[in-house]
This record gives sequence, structure tokens and C-alpha cells, in this order.
Amino acid sequence: MDNNSLTALFGDDSTAQKSGYVIRAVEVCKVFALGEHETHALRGATLDVRRGEYISIMGPSGSGKTTLFNMIGGLNKPTSGKVYIDQVDIAQLDPYELAWLRCRKVGYVFQSFNLIQVMSCIENVMLPMAFAGLSSEDAHDKARDILALVGLGDRALHKPAEMSGGQQQRVAIARALANSPDIILADEPTGNLDLKTGEEIIELFARLRDQLGVTIITATHDLKMLKRSDRIVWIEDGRITRVTTPDEMKIKIEEIH
Amino acid sequence: METILSQVKLPLKRSLQIAVQGIRIRLGRSLVTISGVALGIAFLMSNVSAQFIKAAIGKERELRQTVKLMETVVRSEVGDFAGKSLSVAVFGTLSGAERSLLERLAAAQLAALKLYGLNVPGAAPAALKGIGQDSHALLVLGNARKCPVALEHLADGLKQKVVIDSLSNRVFPAFVRQGRATALDPGSAAEDQVRREVFFSKATDEQIAKLSHAAEQDRFRTIWIVVISILVTVIGVSNALLMSVTERFREIGTMKCLGALSSFIRRLFLIESALIGFCGSVLGILAGGLLPVIVFGISFDFRSVLLQMNFGLLLASAAGTLVAGTLFAIGAAIYPANIAAGMVPASALRSNI
Ligand SMILES: Nc1ncnc2c1ncn2[C@@H]1O[C@H](COP(=O)(O)OP(=O)(O)OP(=O)(O)O)[C@@H](O)[C@H]1O
Ligand SMILES: [Mg+2]
Repeated sequence: MDNNSLTALFGDDSTAQKSGYVIRAVEVCKVFALGEHETHALRGATLDVRRGEYISIMGPSGSGKTTLFNMIGGLNKPTSGKVYIDQVDIAQLDPYELAWLRCRKVGYVFQSFNLIQVMSCIENVMLPMAFAGLSSEDAHDKARDILALVGLGDRALHKPAEMSGGQQQRVAIARALANSPDIILADEPTGNLDLKTGEEIIELFARLRDQLGVTIITATHDLKMLKRSDRIVWIEDGRITRVTTPDEMKIKIEEIH
Repeated sequence: METILSQVKLPLKRSLQIAVQGIRIRLGRSLVTISGVALGIAFLMSNVSAQFIKAAIGKERELRQTVKLMETVVRSEVGDFAGKSLSVAVFGTLSGAERSLLERLAAAQLAALKLYGLNVPGAAPAALKGIGQDSHALLVLGNARKCPVALEHLADGLKQKVVIDSLSNRVFPAFVRQGRATALDPGSAAEDQVRREVFFSKATDEQIAKLSHAAEQDRFRTIWIVVISILVTVIGVSNALLMSVTERFREIGTMKCLGALSSFIRRLFLIESALIGFCGSVLGILAGGLLPVIVFGISFDFRSVLLQMNFGLLLASAAGTLVAGTLFAIGAAIYPANIAAGMVPASALRSNI
């Protein structure tokens, strides 16, 4: 897919080169209370993301990556702290604005995909477009193009259960791209992909970032992905312990091994 | 700086489209839910329908008994039917029992059956004048309040001396003397009196009290059965819809994460439930309404049951059940739909139901 077609699909976002922070998380804490027991998933995470940045988040299992994604994507409310998207405190948004944000502004790739099992691949991709008010004909055409973009053009009518993990993951990615979001939050988007397909997805993200100024935040352990990102954010036990560049990261990895 | 806009509210038509698509793509599951609703409604409807059929059968039994008694009276007055001829004059319209009596008389081995004022299969209508000529008995039937012609004229030329007059509720065995009408001699024999009362369904006070007590009990039983079936139906329908909503919490969470408004989720489930409730009710009403008719029809008698059925009321109660079934379905979905709509997207995603 060449540069022009990508622009055709997602529109030429004139805000792409705008400066400023697209996401700011300030001292975000999240406590899950399960009866007597409390889990501190986030203990004051602060993170600023510039527009068009490609950020990778690394951290051990249970360190709070998914929770952080949910906070900055407006899927859950922090126990304390603030999240700003485009300088707007999302705690101040009404349900309609929040829904708009989830629908248009942010594209999510969930760790467990969360595809709707009864729907075919293309119906899954069309769903966010329906919520955005697109007619089903327009949505159908656009969804087919996006599926082709992630290499699933010939699988449009299959159900998630009939697909491999990697294929499901790509459907999830296609769905995240459905409404041409400004921000993509991808929770381990290449976890189930083979080397080649994984690279294609990484390449796609990089292109979206480079050409359209889409801000990309991924939780990942994929070295290739880490290498492509602008910054790597380390999270441990609910705290952001370090923010590095891929170059510094190399040293770190070599230290470990 | 960019601003965050408000999400568009999808028009009702689009929601309806999405709801129908939802039902279609999970057709198997939808059919199970629909059958759940249909089962509940069929239970309710079969009980309602059975009540109607029981009433119809009761009425039919009563009618048959009345007709039998009427025929007994006629036979006892006229004697053996063979070679006898009967005349019938009808004023006003016939009751069901009188009509059946005439059908039986027409089928009996009578030499002649002369009829005035009515079309009965197998008997040609006769002129009113001289209708009693050469007959062994004259029956005056119908619901007119008074015989518009003097009985003497009708009874002119009667061979035997019997006029059975349902207009004045009397049997006049000695009505005709020596070939011409004379003064009446009503109800002389005591045993005739009883027969006449039964013939004309004149129940005693005691009988009426007994009957109304039985009717009261019957009505109570009917109400009880209907109330129980409504309860069973409500629980069955609620269960079917509760399941169909709760098993999709995860899916709802996903939709909310993708920008669905809470109001859309709520509407989606209410529309879907209404559609499922409607389809299930239609199926349930058809199944529950027809099954008892078939069962009773085979075990009793199709034609007479159908004739005696109060179809207007049955249709009305079917319509009522349809509305009620749809409303139950919507009502049952309100609570889970509200929960689903109000869920925090991230937590809904974790739902494992
Ligand atoms: N809804 C919840 N209820 C209770 N505890 C939760 C909930 N969500 C997350 N947690 C807890 O918060 C902590 C962080 O979870 P989170 O899912 O953010 O980890 P993660 O970094 O994404 O891990 P992984 O790499 O395994 O996906 C965990 O200890 C988890 O048990
Ligand atoms: Mg996670």
C-alpha cells in the first residue's frame, strides 16, 4: 500500500504536525478494591506524550500496563490523578464526549482482542463506524480496505473463532483503525504474530505515525517494535520507573542478557 | 487546539437495523430465546384457550341435554315417530337448542315435517296457513315474545291434540278437540309440569343457586389458572431475556469501548427484546391456542366445539397475550439493559459471564 492510499483511507490530518502534548497523565493512581483486599494497579504514574510520538511501554506482567491504557483511553476512571487528552481533563467530559473520544479519537487494540465472536471480521471492523454514524455501505467499503491493509482482505467474512490468534489480532488492529483515530493504544499488538506479519504491523504503525501524525502507544516486549519507537517507558509495580530512548534501551537489554 | 466533540446519537432506524442484524447473526441463540418466550406464552395461551374450549364444551353439553329433553317431550306427546307428521311454526329466531331439535327432527323417520319461517336442511318451507293440517303435533318455536297468529288457526286440522308452544312456554296436550281449536287446558298433569320446566330450561331457585355457585367456583379456578400461568410466563420470559443480556456483558463492554452510547446499548437491548418478545409471543399464541383446540376437538367433537367457541373473545385474549408477551419481554430486559448500559467499559470487558 503506497502513501497516497493510506492518506485516502485515513484523511490528510492537518493537525499532524501540531506540537504539544496529546496525552498527559498526571499522578494517576488506580486502586481495585475486591472486598477487604486492595490492589494498587497504578501508584502515581505520570506520562506526557507528544503528538505523533511512538511510545512503547514495557514492564513485567501485572505491572499496570493495561490499567494505564484504560486510564488514558477513557475506559476507566483513575482513583486519583488526572488524564488530559488534547489538554482536556477527561474527567470533565460528559458521556457523549467520552463516547466520541472512544469512538473517534482513540483506537484500541485490546490485549485479549475483544472481538465480537458472533460477528464476522468485517462486521467487527464496521462496528465502530456504525457508532460514528457511518452508513453501512460506506462502512463496508472502508472496512474492506482496512482489512486489506492488515493483510486480511480475503478473510473478511470469517468469524473470529475460525481464525488464528495472529489473524484475530490483525482484525483487532483493523478495528482500532476504523474511525481514523488520532491516538492508537495497542496492548501487545504483535504478541501473537509471526516475525513477518509482526514487522508489517510495526511498519503500518510507523507509517501511520510518519504520514498522518497518529500518536501510537503500545505495550510490548517486541524488540523490533521497541527499536522503532521514539521513547520506551518502563513501568514497574504501578510506577513509571524510567523513560529511555531505544539506543539507551539496547545497552540495558545487553546488560540483562 | 483540538476540541473533543459530542458523539452522535444514532437514529432509531439505525438502532433497529443493528438490533435486527444482532438477532440475525446470532440466529441460533435468538431462536433459543424466542422459543423460551414462546414456551412461556404458549403455556399461558393454552390455559386461556383451554378455558374457552371448556366453556364451549360445557355449553355444547348443556345444549345437547336440552335438545334431548325437548325431543323426549315431543316423543312422549306424539308417540312413535314412524308414520307421523309434524308441523313447526317459527316466529322470531331460533335458539341453538331449537335449531338442533329441528335438525334432529328432520333426520328422524317422520312421514312429513312441515316448517314455516325457517330453512332447515331436508325440509321445504311450508305456508303458515293450515300448517297444522293433518299433522300429529304442532311446535311453535322461536324467540318472538308472543305468537302473532292465534294458535287456533295454526292448529286447525291437527290429527292429534298436541301443541308445543315455546313462545308461551307451554305444552298443550288437549289443545285441539274434535278437529277444531277450543279453550286451552294448560298443564294438567303434574309429571308433565316437570318435563315442561326442563324443556324450557326453567330452573328452580335451588337449581339456580347451585349453578351460580358452581359458576363462581369455576370462575375462581379460571382466574387462578390464568394468574399462575402469567407468573410462570413472566418468569420464563424474564429468564430467557436476562440470560441473553447477561451473557453479552463482555460484548457490551467492547461496544462501549468502541464509542457506543449508554442510551444506544439500552435501546439496542430493548428493541431486541421487543422483537424477540413479539416473535416468541406470536409462536406461543399459535402453538398454545391451537393445541388445546386439536386435543379437545379430537377427544370431543371438532365441529360443535368450534361452533360453540367464543372466537371474538378468544382473539381478543390472543391479542392481549401478544401485547402482554411483548411487554413482559421489554420489562424483563429493562433491568439487565440498564446494568449493561451503566457498566464501566473496562470492567465490562473483564466480565466472564
Ligand atoms: N478490574 C480489576 N480488578 C481487580 N484487580 C485488577 C483489575 N484490573 C487489574 N487488576 C490488577 O492490577 C494489576 C495490574 O494489572 P494490569 O492488567 O494493568 O497488568 P499488565 O501490566 O497489563 O499485565 P500483563 O502484562 O500481564 O497484561 C494486577 O495486579 C491486576 O491483578
Ligand atoms: Mg495487560
